[in-house]
Amino acid sequence: MKLRVGACRALVFAPYVFAASILSAMGWPLDAPVPAATFGTLDSGHFLTAIELASDGGLVHSADEGELVFVYDSKPASYALPSTIGSYVVVEHPRGMAGVYAELAKGSASGYLEKVKSGSLLGTAGASGIAKGSGLLFGLFDREAERWVNPFLLLPPLADTTPPVIRSALLSNGSSSYTLGEAKSLPQGVYLVCADLGDSLVSTWSVGNPAPYYVRLMIDGAKVAEFTSDVAGAKDGSLRLSSQSPKAASEYARPDGKVILASRLFARGRSIIEILVRDYAGNERRASWTITLE
Amino acid sequence: MEETGKKWLAIVIIAFACIIYFFLCAVPLPKELVLEPRWSTSLPAPDAPSVAGADLGATTSLIPFTLGPSFGYFSPKGKVAFSAAMPFGLAISEAGYVAYDQIPTSLSLRSPLGIETAKTLEAGYPFYSGKRLFIMRPGQNSAAELGSDGRVLWQRDFPSIITAFSSSDDLALFGLMDGSLVGLGKDGSELLSFAPGGSRIAGIYGCAVSPDGQMVAAISGLDKQRLVVLERRTSAYRVTYHRWLDSDFRRPVAMGFTDDGRYLAYERPDGFGIYSCEGRSEARIASKALKRLGLSIPDRNMLIALEGGSEDKTLLCASPKGKRIFSASFSAADGFLAQQGDSLFLGMAQTGGASVIVRLDLKEE
Repeated sequence: MKLRVGACRALVFAPYVFAASILSAMGWPLDAPVPAATFGTLDSGHFLTAIELASDGGLVHSADEGELVFVYDSKPASYALPSTIGSYVVVEHPRGMAGVYAELAKGSASGYLEKVKSGSLLGTAGASGIAKGSGLLFGLFDREAERWVNPFLLLPPLADTTPPVIRSALLSNGSSSYTLGEAKSLPQGVYLVCADLGDSLVSTWSVGNPAPYYVRLMIDGAKVAEFTSDVAGAKDGSLRLSSQSPKAASEYARPDGKVILASRLFARGRSIIEILVRDYAGNERRASWTITLE
Repeated sequence: MEETGKKWLAIVIIAFACIIYFFLCAVPLPKELVLEPRWSTSLPAPDAPSVAGADLGATTSLIPFTLGPSFGYFSPKGKVAFSAAMPFGLAISEAGYVAYDQIPTSLSLRSPLGIETAKTLEAGYPFYSGKRLFIMRPGQNSAAELGSDGRVLWQRDFPSIITAFSSSDDLALFGLMDGSLVGLGKDGSELLSFAPGGSRIAGIYGCAVSPDGQMVAAISGLDKQRLVVLERRTSAYRVTYHRWLDSDFRRPVAMGFTDDGRYLAYERPDGFGIYSCEGRSEARIASKALKRLGLSIPDRNMLIALEGGSEDKTLLCASPKGKRIFSASFSAADGFLAQQGDSLFLGMAQTGGASVIVRLDLKEE
């Protein structure tokens, strides 16, 4: 049975792993990419369905060949909608991937292009829209699956040896919260296991708390929950993150930003809670706590 | 002597014939449509905001404007009720306005006289459609409607980014990059979900909702671009008209129904097209770059548009059958056009200079 579940998950990831292997032509849209926000990061209660790359006026290139299909140049006529992602262009890349290059410098979007080659100049990195700093907001939308794909899965890997962080973890039962490592014993019952997690980025600015790529929760040696920030799609009017167990923002994290890992009945006795987080480069960090339930 | 008599007789007959013709055959000349200037008012300098609301009494008929470096409200009688410098972003309507910064921390909803009526901490950029206030959330793929008290009435996340929008009192229509149209009711419930399709590349470049919400239209796709009109039949919307277009717009496209809902005006590369909802026929008007589209004077069966480039503007009046009735050109870096009945309000702003609003009344003489 476990094997079957594993096989199903492999099938879910397969298209992107396959795409990543054949989309070697896809390159970084900036020459020296410095991630400032990861896919799935919560920004004002909303999932980021793109990645943010810090750059002070760097040239933005097309990540792949394609066709420029939409331009919003931040100086729209009075009838146009406001754009919270500032000036942006949409490039139709091969295999149904639409690339959104946003927060470009005002007036820099290359509206004259139609056919785009890999590396074609699309604009200049800027801080238009609700940008927290100067850079590029880059998203990839899979038209067939109707969902956003984490660009890190399709772009060449970046050199990164810094593991993500686990700042704290706690058990919460609505009325009380117990920080793991501080509370040695607590009453038995149903608890939400939450953790303050984040990816380590070297950018001078960032959007919120960068979401790690993969999170796994194990209790007493058994895998209780795992979560991957690989895709995001809207279902029933609500944006949901992850292909494994899609979660809306309110299900993914508490208002204070702590990630909700699982709801679990803790019976009397001793329990070992272990959290593992992994970033896009494969760097891991683990933390475990032993608690006593009374 | 006899010849002189004949001459006089001929003159008398001709004169008599002329008199008869004058009184019996004369047809009054058709009345000409003229624009009569009623008043002209200069806007205060943008760095000297003004409020003259107390002198105006009721504020219900104030007309909002955005012109060059200023925004505000004026009365149909020519009094500037409120004006201030243009902020980073502005949502404005007859109901009020919301000025916001590039990264808003909170949003103040203000009356036409600048008085704060509500506040919200919702993140995003607000925009009015009619008297309804919406907010575009970070990411451009989520939107919400705000009540007059600033509270969220409903909110919706969309699969891809929002590229077009229009609304009526009962329907909010979102056009998406993925090529679908989503129409939401007053409570945020889904009333319409439709993907025009047929083009090589899907996408919604413009959309419009008729004032009564019974008709929606969109310009969709690339290669080829397509005009689609849907009409509400009982509970569902059905396609009643579609046409492949010659256009290849890769940017937001202007389109809108006239106030009486009889016509749909939409941007074309060479001007604008007019779709008659009753006759399901189309006409075309050659025009330069459009700035304002969709105004109409139903009683006179006229459409009005403001066209022009960076330094010159033209006020254009046309018949729905595509005939230019008249046009008036003027020099202005920025222009503004509003209409109330037979009155047109034309704003002109010069680069670094004065801004003026003029009222022109349509009259027959």
